[in-house]
Amino acid sequence: MNFADLVQIVWENLRAHRMRAVLTTIGIAIGIAGVIAVVAVGQGGESVIISEIENMGSSLYFDISPDYMRGETADSSTFSLEDPALIKDISPAVEKMAAITLGPMVDVRIPQSQKKPLMTSLYGTNPDLADIMKLSVEKGRFLSDLDVTAHARVVVIDAGLADDLFSNEEPLGKKVFVQDTPLTVVGVLEKVPSSMTDSSFGVRTIYAPITSAQEMLNNRAISQLCGVAASEETLDQAISDSVKILESRHSSLNKHYVGTTLEEQLEMVGNVTSVLTTVIGAVAGIALLVGGVGVMNIMLVAVSERTREIGLLKALGARRRDIMQQFLGEAVALCLLGGMVGMIFGIIGAFTIAMVANWPPLISIWTILLAVGFSVIIGIFFGLYPASRAASLSPAEALRHL
Amino acid sequence: MIRVSGLTMVFGSGDAAVHALRGVDLDIPEGDFVAIMGPSGSGKSTFLTLLGCLERPTSGEYYLDGRDVNTLEDDELADLRNQKLGFVFQSFNLLPRHHVLRNVELPLIYAGAPREERSKRAQELLEQVGLGHRLTHKPSELSGGEQQRVAIARSLANNPLVIFADEPTGNLDTKASSEIMSILQKMHKAGRTIVMVTHEPEIAAYARRIIYFRDGEIVREEVKDELR
Repeated sequence: MNFADLVQIVWENLRAHRMRAVLTTIGIAIGIAGVIAVVAVGQGGESVIISEIENMGSSLYFDISPDYMRGETADSSTFSLEDPALIKDISPAVEKMAAITLGPMVDVRIPQSQKKPLMTSLYGTNPDLADIMKLSVEKGRFLSDLDVTAHARVVVIDAGLADDLFSNEEPLGKKVFVQDTPLTVVGVLEKVPSSMTDSSFGVRTIYAPITSAQEMLNNRAISQLCGVAASEETLDQAISDSVKILESRHSSLNKHYVGTTLEEQLEMVGNVTSVLTTVIGAVAGIALLVGGVGVMNIMLVAVSERTREIGLLKALGARRRDIMQQFLGEAVALCLLGGMVGMIFGIIGAFTIAMVANWPPLISIWTILLAVGFSVIIGIFFGLYPASRAASLSPAEALRHL
Repeated sequence: MIRVSGLTMVFGSGDAAVHALRGVDLDIPEGDFVAIMGPSGSGKSTFLTLLGCLERPTSGEYYLDGRDVNTLEDDELADLRNQKLGFVFQSFNLLPRHHVLRNVELPLIYAGAPREERSKRAQELLEQVGLGHRLTHKPSELSGGEQQRVAIARSLANNPLVIFADEPTGNLDTKASSEIMSILQKMHKAGRTIVMVTHEPEIAAYARRIIYFRDGEIVREEVKDELR
């Protein structure tokens, strides 16, 4: 029996029990949808991590926070404004360092405008942040040391916010109100492709001198220091130096600090992704198993219903292999049918997750091959037993069967 | 062409053993038309099953077209059935999901015949049995007599040496029965070997030879006329 005949006979057989075929494939469909979602989430998460590394530029990045695990929090005495410069001076391993007041959400609006104020994330920081976070300025300049010492009422805004606030107007030199404080725009950042730190989730970001930010927010606390090491080899050195220097400077208050590299932070993102992947994967696995058993069950039913027919086919000259192929073919076709439906739902699901999590939906030719391949394997695995039962029937006994 | 000797068939074992055949010797030359008669349980259907290579005998020899059937593997038996034997059953045994043409094509599909050739062949055969206009009907859309004619067309697909017919008219009315029998008789006249099981004397009367079975043995044989 050649392949075209096999396909045609399998198709005619399945069409005779349409309802049964559709119901049987539901489990497989759910399973395959899950598998595709897992792959998409895995790849999406990975691509975010990779693009994050590319955006932040370096594996040299690290930050220093109070040791939350020991119950410490950032208050006004945790870091001082002089710490970054001091650490940079003392440790040759530390190339750049900036303090940041991690952005609380603030309202930004332009004067004499009816537009609703925009929620933005405010970072109070030092000039080094531009190098640390690889922020490139498109127009104007980034913050300067003078801005910090002078408590200058200036602000650098991201490209998205510039669009939102000023549309086509020139933002440089314009005033914006942050809460109720007027600040002058001195720089606009370049547009960055979607990334977790700034434009993702549609959150806009503004950068002000740390000194003015503290005054505006009426909060002297610095939430963390971030920096870059001089080289990969000195990254650990940079972190331990920073922690040591801070602990000795703030020894009277017995403070503890902890440093994290970019890699470690991304690992955490990766962990979340892998939890998600595992959960969906487990559901998909169970669905595939249940679906596969369903296929096996329906094939066993088909074999016993068609025992007499199998006897006839053997009388007409069907070899063992012909019968085997035919029933295996039906099992595989059922799974493929489920796989197709599952693939459609899986792709929809992957797009949904990608939209919610704001990462690129990754559906490749491999996803489709994976779905097809998985369906075929499940069909063969669960179809093998019923098919071999059919193939090993004795023709005379099968023909006597009522 | 068919030669069996000492053929026995036992189902089950020990006290429950059923001796369906107790040593049957028979020669069927090419071109013969044999009717096998006997009460139910006499072993006539079992005998036909063994002749049709659908089952292996418990003991005894069976030569078909010069080959020792007992020495053949399962797949060789399948090929033998496909190439040399044709079957017609009491309940027609057509596949309900496939149309008439496909049903007749089945033996040709297993023989590996190319698509066009086999559909041409199947069409010819259906025309021969007077069903050229019903090619794409499902078996359930045909009368019993028509279904049995499809089955006869199917049995002829690979131009076999022998046709085995197990109560071919058992499910048919008188008119359809005589139609089927005249087709079989025509095949016999054309030189085809036919072995038929029946319990109706008027059906058996179409055959050249009538063999009577009782309790798993041949008890009597009638020959109507000499084989040409």
